[in-house]
Amino acid sequence: MAALLQTRLTISYKDKTVLREVCLEINEGEVLGLVGHSGCGKSSLALAVLGLLGMKDGKVTGSIRWKGEELLTLKESAWLKLRGKEIAFVPQSPLSSLNPALRIETQLAEAWKLHQSGGKQECQKAILAALENVSLPAEKEFLRRYPSEISVGQAQRVLIAMAILHRPSLLIADEPTSALDAITQSEILDLFSHLNRKLGMSILYISHDLPSVASICDRIAIVNDGEIVECAPPQQIFFAPTHAFTRRLVAALPSMPQMPEKRRGASA
Amino acid sequence: MKALRWGATALLILAALAAIGAHYVAPAGYEHQFRESPGVSPSAQHPLGTDDLGRDRFARLIYGLRVSLILAPLAAALTTLMAALIGGIAGYCGGWVEGCALVIMDLFLSIPWLFLLITVRAMLPLNISPESSVFITFLLLGVLGWAASARIICAGTRDLLKSEFVWLARASGFSGFKLLRLHLLPNLRGTLLAQFWISIPVFIIAEANLGAMGLGVAEPLPSLGSLLRELQNVVTLRPEPWRFMPLLVLIMVVSCFQTLLNKNEVRT
Repeated sequence: MAALLQTRLTISYKDKTVLREVCLEINEGEVLGLVGHSGCGKSSLALAVLGLLGMKDGKVTGSIRWKGEELLTLKESAWLKLRGKEIAFVPQSPLSSLNPALRIETQLAEAWKLHQSGGKQECQKAILAALENVSLPAEKEFLRRYPSEISVGQAQRVLIAMAILHRPSLLIADEPTSALDAITQSEILDLFSHLNRKLGMSILYISHDLPSVASICDRIAIVNDGEIVECAPPQQIFFAPTHAFTRRLVAALPSMPQMPEKRRGASA
Repeated sequence: MKALRWGATALLILAALAAIGAHYVAPAGYEHQFRESPGVSPSAQHPLGTDDLGRDRFARLIYGLRVSLILAPLAAALTTLMAALIGGIAGYCGGWVEGCALVIMDLFLSIPWLFLLITVRAMLPLNISPESSVFITFLLLGVLGWAASARIICAGTRDLLKSEFVWLARASGFSGFKLLRLHLLPNLRGTLLAQFWISIPVFIIAEANLGAMGLGVAEPLPSLGSLLRELQNVVTLRPEPWRFMPLLVLIMVVSCFQTLLNKNEVRT
């Protein structure tokens, strides 16, 4: 397995350093979980990999290598070809992440046109395929709705469909289930692992919810105090944690961690 | 309140219909001189009498209404367009571009605009054709009126740029003009429409002020403003109350607009 993304980065806002020398490696077809407190810099990392941190007045130093190529020295025009096409993003709050003034169809079509040239039919085909992949009704009636007319779960599926339109190599999901109820949450989690197996997409799954991460990830990186304190497969995180923070995290779980362990075993 | 709005709508529609069908409503025409009967009192033939030059007052009122009702919306459209462009670009670019634009807007808002209008209009030759006087009057109004709207649009754009769906659009590879067209403008539509409607009565009044000073639309073409000039001869008013008609119509049209705006503003 070749490394798709390798980082060694430091992120700071003004005079405050959020992440220090964070080394991550995501291989092709791998699902990597990133777990830590809210506000520990997980989302900043996602923005840095998308080259958008500068717009939030954040500063990245170090290196981000994408398929062997350095991203931090990339020009904006090259970034535009990467964002959405090679590296796609699934945000945290589904309903406010869709443009309220545009129909679902328009948003999907415009996102497709951004990186592909082709006729209406090809566009339609791509949209229908993406909708099928996220188990949404591929009906005209649904596509003509506005974001205010669909449920949160559907909105999250639309966002995932939009993210996989171009079959990106890496999907960054930033707490994609935190706004959803328990049942929808597990459906979306299943969807992610399905996409990973079916399309071979690598996923960087950011969350503060250890059990949900454990159920779909190959490896989990634990962030504490601006550093990655531990990065290991779920079994090791749960049963042989080496760092004190990880032990506290596992001990704080309300339910026994065996359950995600079993599910992982069944799907592997 | 509902009855009031219906009444206002009906009156405005009536005024618009009369203005559109001026040719039929007032076949006398605005410049035909009935030389045998100058300055006569109302009669069946001249519902509002004739002016000193023997022109039918009713016809001049209807045609004046037409000039005002066509050109105020056009000037409002011009203002709104300028506000959208300047405010939108300033809000989108931020930084020094926004700073400069805001300074210019402040400058425009601090100009004693009536004085400026008088100055600019006075610099133009007095014997320009009536058609170009109409054009120039409303062009001036349109060009001078954009600043307040542009400020609102600028603030609206800045807020939108912080919204989550714009962040997701950026993460999908949208930027520049495409971002503006697809994600910003459709969401500013309500604000723009409100600005457009608010500008119309303001411009009708502004034209009336100019016209009353003889600096608006040139003779023989009437406008609601130029018709007010007759009222300057206070001495002759008392025995001829029908001369107040243009003023009444002006107040009626503007207050109808304001009544309708009350509701529109709540909605947008």
